[in-house]
Amino acid sequence: MWKWGKRLSILASILLMAIIVSACNRDDAPGKVKIEFFQNKPEAKGSFDKLISRFNQEHPVIEVIQVNPPEAETVLLTRVVKNDVPDIVGLGATDTYSILAQSGIFTDLANTELPRTVDPIYLKMLKDVTGADPVYGIPYAANANGVMYNKTLFKEMGLQVPKTWDELIATAQKIKAVGKIPFYFTYKDDWQTNLPFNALGPNLVGIDFFLQRRENQVTFQDKYREVAEKQLELLKYGHGDNFGKNYADGNRAFANGQGFMYIQGSWAISEIRKANPKVELGFFPLPTGNDEQAVKLVSGIDTLLAVSESTPHKKEAEEFIAFLLKPENSKQYITEQTLFSAVKGVTQDDPSVAELLPYFKSGRVIDFADHYIPKAVQLNSIVQAFLQNGGIDAYLAKLDSEWDKVANRR
Amino acid sequence: MNKRLTAFYWMTVPAVLLFFIFLTLPALQGFYYSLTNWNGFGHQYHFVGFKNYINLFQDDNVGNAYWFTFKFAIVVTIAINVLSLLIALGLNAKIRFRNFFRGIYFLPNILSVLIVGYIFNYLFSNVFTIWGRNLGITSLSTNILGSEQLAWVGVVIVAVWQGIAFNTILYLAGLQTIPTSLYEASNLDGAGKWREFWSITFPLIAPFFTINMVLAMKNSLMVFDQIVALTNGGPGRATQSISHLIYTGGFRGGEFAYQSANSVIYFIVIAMISILQLRFLQRREMDN
Repeated sequence: MWKWGKRLSILASILLMAIIVSACNRDDAPGKVKIEFFQNKPEAKGSFDKLISRFNQEHPVIEVIQVNPPEAETVLLTRVVKNDVPDIVGLGATDTYSILAQSGIFTDLANTELPRTVDPIYLKMLKDVTGADPVYGIPYAANANGVMYNKTLFKEMGLQVPKTWDELIATAQKIKAVGKIPFYFTYKDDWQTNLPFNALGPNLVGIDFFLQRRENQVTFQDKYREVAEKQLELLKYGHGDNFGKNYADGNRAFANGQGFMYIQGSWAISEIRKANPKVELGFFPLPTGNDEQAVKLVSGIDTLLAVSESTPHKKEAEEFIAFLLKPENSKQYITEQTLFSAVKGVTQDDPSVAELLPYFKSGRVIDFADHYIPKAVQLNSIVQAFLQNGGIDAYLAKLDSEWDKVANRR
Repeated sequence: MNKRLTAFYWMTVPAVLLFFIFLTLPALQGFYYSLTNWNGFGHQYHFVGFKNYINLFQDDNVGNAYWFTFKFAIVVTIAINVLSLLIALGLNAKIRFRNFFRGIYFLPNILSVLIVGYIFNYLFSNVFTIWGRNLGITSLSTNILGSEQLAWVGVVIVAVWQGIAFNTILYLAGLQTIPTSLYEASNLDGAGKWREFWSITFPLIAPFFTINMVLAMKNSLMVFDQIVALTNGGPGRATQSISHLIYTGGFRGGEFAYQSANSVIYFIVIAMISILQLRFLQRREMDN
């Protein structure tokens, strides 16, 4: 008995020590403000780590911590339920952002210096997505959705970059005629099927369509037939197993020269280079019609920065965002991630996207269609099902009925 | 006597409390939310009565998920039980390396469903297709998970492959409860192997058959991980199970209340099926 008592007391004192030590650790630097930066891009974790460590060095009283869980949007939503909103949130300008902004969990930053450093075209995009005037998020980086092509293969066959829809189809036919793969489709992942949708829709129908659809003034059945037909047309020029390959398979295959063109976003460039660093890539906007001048590049906000309404450290959070928006820091980020900066005057110099720069310069950009479609509609699976069975009428009717159902449930 | 009773109370009361806090209370809360239009994270919501339930019965996505799930569950339950009974009979016989084989067959149960799913996903897309092409079978040369008509077969294969392990163990346990003297007696009477199985083995493991049927059915009605890892409900919604629909719509689609209503219905359905199955199969046990 005696022995046990002694052992227990030793154990208890060890526990007590541990508690004291851990309690000390928690407050090791009195007066230091810890702020949490939550972001949703696993690809960008390393880049942000570098920027954060520089920021922490320059600001001895602030410590920024990065959080980047898998399925970040879902995690963020559950944390909002628990009233545990991260101090700073980095997120794409998607429907999730729109819902969160409308629920009033972000601070209005309109009266700070921050919006003045970024390109107004992106601020307008955010306003359109949320349908609200306050600036709940600061655009940070933008991406592009278009057609990637293998420059080496194009040169070998003497092909030109197509500028119109007819040229695009003619190019694809030429490639198919020699038994090669014109487009490498990766439609096992349903989100891949909406990439052509995102390029065709805004160009052929326009973004206003969605604002009118919200008011029930138009329907997909009236306006989206051409989009559907063109998507089916593209499918003829794929490979043998369009629905059997996923995004990761596609990046690997395209990097190794299977497939001349790849309808994809600029976010895939770094992944493709991982698979084959020597591949020579080019990038052009998907030509959606036959008027060369009317084609706009589809570009959306890849990351925007928002500050929680409930955080006690708003000033520090704004300071961190101002730091990220500094031209040299933004430049470093977009160079590593092959994205485009929302900050005025910062340009992307990577040769693979050089063909896109004129579009950014002259403002010929337009937002993704799916940023305006409620998530509950589950656009991706509808488009994927349509491409499998090819029934245009049923597909357009489905888009309308799902939209109405979701609107009715809200 | 009194003292012994206190001990039993000490065992039951905390269990009841824990059960109530972690299972009953959330279920009641879920029912409460199913009567609102809460999106899952906003600060405000309104009561909408039974509107969610009415919408549920008009939603063909829900009907589609139920149809897929039932089709899937019936096929998987039958396949698992037939195969695991066969394997258990083999493993119970006096064969060489019996323990080694038992270990091998139990292995799939230890692995995480998600990891197994991702491995099979790779096999379906990059290995089986090459085999199919080399053998000249066109239907195998494309990934079956990418086809609206065949994707469910792929999910069934993985679910059965993994589900067999656990049910085999239960059947093995059942087979070992049968006294060998019965077999010796039937041997003397000159009964064949087939007769032996139907007249002795099967009736005596009937309780195990019942529990295996109910467990396999319940597990496959709640199929989720395999779907996430293999098809994510696709192509289109061809392989979307009910739990996957509840997850995608409720947590990612911002329709928490609507999918809460779905899960209330789903709970009732599963409970009813399990009760019916138990009653039917237990009556069969007694008949024998």
